[in-house]
Amino acid sequence: MLELRLVQGSLLKKVLEAIKELVNDANFDCSATGFSLQAMDSSHVALVALLLRSDGFEHYRCDRNISMGMNLNNVSKMLRCAGNDDIITIKADDGSDTVTFMFESPTQDRIADFEMKLMDIDSEHLGIPEAEYHAIVRMPSADFARICKDLASIGDTVVISVTKEGVKFSTRGDIGTANIVLRQNTSVDKPEEATVIEMNEPVSLTFALRYMNSFTRATPLSNTVTISLSSELPVVVEYKIAEMGYIRYYLAPKIEEDEDETKPQV
Amino acid sequence: MNHNGGSARKRRPPTPTSHQPPPTKQKATTPTTQQTLVDEEFVDEDVFLDETLLPEDEESLILRDIEQRQAVASRLSKWARPPLSQAYVSQSQSILFQQLDIDYVIGESHRELLPRSSGPAAIIRIFGVTREGHSVCCKVHGFEPYFYISCPSGMGPDDISRFHQVLEGRMREANRNSKVPQFIRRIEMVQKKSIMYYQQQKSQPFLKIVVALPTMVTSCRGILDRGIQIDGFGMKSFMTYESNVLFALRFMIDCNVVGGNWIEVPVGKYRKTAKTLSYCQLEFDCLYSDLISHHPEGEYSKMAPFRILSFDIECAGRKGHFPEPTHDPVIQVANLVTLQGEKQPFIRNVMTLKSCASIVGVDVMPFETEREVLLAWRDLIREVDPDIIIGYNICKFDLPYLIERSQTLGIAEFPILGRIRNSRVRVKDTTFSSRQYGTRESKEVTVEGRVQFDLLQAMQRDYKLSSYSLNSVSAHFLSEQKEDVHHSIISDLQNGNAETRRRLAVYCLKDAYLPQRLLDKLMYIFNYVEMARVTGVPISFLLSRGQSIKVLSQLLRKAKQKNLVIPNVKHAGSEQGTYEGATVLEAKAGFYEKPIATLDFASLYPSIMMAYNLCYSTLVTPEDARKLNLAPECVNKTPSGEMFVKSNLQKGILPEILEELLSARKRAKADLKEAKDPLEKAVLDGRQLALKISANSVYGFTGATVGQLPCLEISSSVTSYGRQMIEHTKKLVEDKFTTVGGYEHNAEVIYGDTDSVMVQFGVPTVAAAMNLGREAAEYISATFIKPIKLEFEKVYYPYLLISKKRYAGLFWTNPEKFDKMDTKGIETVRRDNCLLVKNLVNECLHKILIDRDIPGAVQYVKNTISDLLMNRMDLSLLVITKGLTKTGDDYEVKAAHVELAERMRKRDAATAPNVGDRVPYVIVKAAKGAKAYERSEDPIYVLENNIPIDTQYYLENQISKPLLRLFEPILKNASKELLSGDHTRSISISTPSNSGIMKFAKRQLSCIGCKALISNGTLCSHCKGREAELYCKTVSQVSELEVLFGRLWTQCQECQGSLHQDVLCTSRDCPIFYRRKKAQKDMAEAKQQLDRWNF
Repeated sequence: MLELRLVQGSLLKKVLEAIKELVNDANFDCSATGFSLQAMDSSHVALVALLLRSDGFEHYRCDRNISMGMNLNNVSKMLRCAGNDDIITIKADDGSDTVTFMFESPTQDRIADFEMKLMDIDSEHLGIPEAEYHAIVRMPSADFARICKDLASIGDTVVISVTKEGVKFSTRGDIGTANIVLRQNTSVDKPEEATVIEMNEPVSLTFALRYMNSFTRATPLSNTVTISLSSELPVVVEYKIAEMGYIRYYLAPKIEEDEDETKPQV
Repeated sequence: MNHNGGSARKRRPPTPTSHQPPPTKQKATTPTTQQTLVDEEFVDEDVFLDETLLPEDEESLILRDIEQRQAVASRLSKWARPPLSQAYVSQSQSILFQQLDIDYVIGESHRELLPRSSGPAAIIRIFGVTREGHSVCCKVHGFEPYFYISCPSGMGPDDISRFHQVLEGRMREANRNSKVPQFIRRIEMVQKKSIMYYQQQKSQPFLKIVVALPTMVTSCRGILDRGIQIDGFGMKSFMTYESNVLFALRFMIDCNVVGGNWIEVPVGKYRKTAKTLSYCQLEFDCLYSDLISHHPEGEYSKMAPFRILSFDIECAGRKGHFPEPTHDPVIQVANLVTLQGEKQPFIRNVMTLKSCASIVGVDVMPFETEREVLLAWRDLIREVDPDIIIGYNICKFDLPYLIERSQTLGIAEFPILGRIRNSRVRVKDTTFSSRQYGTRESKEVTVEGRVQFDLLQAMQRDYKLSSYSLNSVSAHFLSEQKEDVHHSIISDLQNGNAETRRRLAVYCLKDAYLPQRLLDKLMYIFNYVEMARVTGVPISFLLSRGQSIKVLSQLLRKAKQKNLVIPNVKHAGSEQGTYEGATVLEAKAGFYEKPIATLDFASLYPSIMMAYNLCYSTLVTPEDARKLNLAPECVNKTPSGEMFVKSNLQKGILPEILEELLSARKRAKADLKEAKDPLEKAVLDGRQLALKISANSVYGFTGATVGQLPCLEISSSVTSYGRQMIEHTKKLVEDKFTTVGGYEHNAEVIYGDTDSVMVQFGVPTVAAAMNLGREAAEYISATFIKPIKLEFEKVYYPYLLISKKRYAGLFWTNPEKFDKMDTKGIETVRRDNCLLVKNLVNECLHKILIDRDIPGAVQYVKNTISDLLMNRMDLSLLVITKGLTKTGDDYEVKAAHVELAERMRKRDAATAPNVGDRVPYVIVKAAKGAKAYERSEDPIYVLENNIPIDTQYYLENQISKPLLRLFEPILKNASKELLSGDHTRSISISTPSNSGIMKFAKRQLSCIGCKALISNGTLCSHCKGREAELYCKTVSQVSELEVLFGRLWTQCQECQGSLHQDVLCTSRDCPIFYRRKKAQKDMAEAKQQLDRWNF
């Protein structure tokens, strides 16, 4: 028996929007500690990891660890039927091949049940081991989204370099080049508008912008984003989900001679 | 070396390096010239005898060389042809032989035979074999090249001699370097008639211009085309007639010689050549007028005992490079020699570089140096003296490679492979391009007196296959596979020991054996000789030329009988546009569960041409129609508006050719029924087939706008009559077979195509439909002009009509039992689809039509889709192949196979596909929004790197359309029923082995029972209770996969012919290969799972 009650239903909607751009079908894993998902995008260049800890739910019951295969487009279709301030409950019986989404309006005068057929997805569970990063940049998520969007109109790839001076995002395209430098800035009134750079070693890595732009779909989930970089490791773009967990995106750096980003990199 | 004609491996168009001019010494005698041939335009090429000969001292050098290698020589002498009988030696016997090849050379004209001429002349050489198996080289003298022009009115004998002088002068200007004493031998006035248009007068004067050498026909034609100044007539340009006929063909036509027939030279009419120039046993000179050419009938339809050599070479390539003759040695040559008509080869040997362990039944001939290998092969050719040389891709790879290799090694005496003493083989690059066969690059290797028959070329011509590698062709026709060893492994085998080289030799022998098997199985010798006999062209033309030369040859022969001449129409600016093609009645799509009768027109287009007397010589131009004032009952006005006279006024020659072809076919078929001897049957069957093909190609000849003599008036008239007849038939059927007319049901024409009409008479049984079909055919045939005839042949029951040109049904010719399942235009036959589609559609049709089990078919589709999504599908089923017809830059839009070929070239140029090859690929997963062409990948690369397949692509772009087409007439909601539902809800997302993010990600443990995440162990706490059950399941899974893999492995070992050696094969065409690889991978994964249980 599984029963998860989330008061902020809109959160779940935002989570779905943040993932479905990259992943079509995935297994959601439920255990006593929380509700999670790990999946690669179809070109297996990027990986998404989601965690919603059990203590963030109003009510969390999970008798046994289970994996539920879902088509994210279909989940999104279901969740679109929930109001923005609805309370969402996810329910599933042991051994059942369906999952139920229950939407309650805040005033409790409207209760809707949506039952969705589950999929049987045979895939491996993947995870990226925790590591020490050479540089960690924390910045407002909206700024990061804008940088990615602006650069994508000029080039296909972004070079992110972190030095003592700050963090530089640059690109190069047919029509020209672009460089955006952000300096450490902690003197603002609101902590969420600060740009904080922790650097042990300077680092400069290249990434495909199309994936970065997919990651920024998670912007509504958090005001800040943390970008952790290390040479020879995938970048981690992390959005914290208020008091519940996170959504992390991992992206393998592009290797210099690899000119075709759409091809699986070997 | 593997034979991968159609695909990647070898046979790359030569890289520029292989084109470097040979060392100067050879340059003079082995010219490598570039010649591009535009759509079937072939010209004569004068080869001067002395140019091709070596100086005397070189020959003695060769002789010395042979002596030094006595050991080989004694071995070779066993293979020589039977010795000549006394009667031949004393020249007291007529020489009767079957000719195989005819060419000509330029030499001094024969003093004894032609006492009155001198200077260089063309000498026809006929090569052939006598009944006893003696080789013959017959040199024919006295035949002169000529052509016609129409004689300007008012030209008298004096004018002609002046004209002669002027023309001679112009020719001399154009050919300053020539030493010929007289260019224009003579000009005669003859009475002839042009084939074009109906003419009332019997004939008109033409000038026959006889020139000294064959190439002068072309240069003289050029002069006359451009115009020439003649006193009293001013500047005049001439239309030439029959000036585009190759000299050898001209000779054959004038002497009534057809390809592959028997020729007799009576006693006393031939002279043995004093100093022989060829290696043939019988070499003699004679006059062309003394030849007796036998019509291929009765005794003369048999085949002489030709010697057929099938060979294959192996080269040791370097890693990552395609073998190049400038670097890579020839390490083995395998040979099989078979006598035509015998079942088993009488010589089997393999020449190897370095020692080689012995092979049962094969003469293994190891040599220490490559030079010895090459020379041993040359000696084999010389001693065995094969008439026909066959192999797979020999013309593009093996022969040129041997010759270029010998140049690199400086073996000047190697390329003497022809029948002419001391004459070196010549290599030319050619591009053959024809509308029908597409463009092919190839090399032309001239081996004088021996016919080359490259099975690859024959396959590409005659069959549409998804792959033309020797392996897949053999699998298709002989149900026999061979191992496909990657060329990089060949070098390893060669550098091993006698055993590994033996392995290579076995492989090489198989490659030499398979072409011979294919030749026998497909009756190529019979079919091609018969085709040559029917159409009258030399056998070598059949492979190197297109269709139109065959029709032209027949036309020229017939025209000669009728005293007609054929104009040489220049095809520049012949954009006469197109004309309306055949008609297709609208298809009433549906699944018909009542018998459908099919009414066919027998040989529709030839019949129309005969019935309405359509020909060049019966066509009346609109102006002539007014001028000639023909009576309306004497002409036919065709539905397309052209006018042709009826046969009572003038019989056309095309109808006459067709009548002969069809009546000859009837005769051949009747004889075939009587024939008992299997060889005789083979000849007759080949003949009737050749006759049928020839009859059908006449229409195409008139419609080929870039052909030799296009006449769209004829072809458009033919199709217009065809359209009219289909409509007429439909009307008659639907008017007559009605309930009003006393029949049980109203007949309905549900579909009609070019030459057939499908009728539903409404009756429930096959027998009843057959009776009505016969009745209708007879009734309607009576309304047509003979020989147009509607035939009732078959009933379809049930019949699934999808759209025009797409249908399937069970085919009944007798009411008791259906003959077969017949499909047209459905994915079972299209080769661009992957095998999955083909199998799926086939199985569904089988279930629907034969088992009449529609729910079963639906379930089958669902299971297949589920298997696909669960990644249980064999990769070989997902491979799509497309022909690479030009290089990437020439394609306007990006195509998956072209892009892949480009990417593969970057990865490894040696294995990448080339123009003309078919490229196999699969579609893999990539980033969202990536185009299909970015997602194509080499199947082997996919297997090796475990790249996930884009199953959605296959579901949506490959199988959905054909399936929906098939099921839409049957099911109401086909798309919903088949393509969505529970069976699509189980999928598998496989993890690539080491690409992208997988370089960093770690697999996490999950429960074997329920897949939930766990931190350690094998099972989650919940599944602990089922431990025993799950363990058993894993164990049995592993053992099942082990058994499967073991069986596949054994299968491959059997295919390679040795059960105690490793399998090396990496054949892209072999389904077993993919299954073996996949089983191996699955087994390894399952074992890993098992290992997690460490009790």
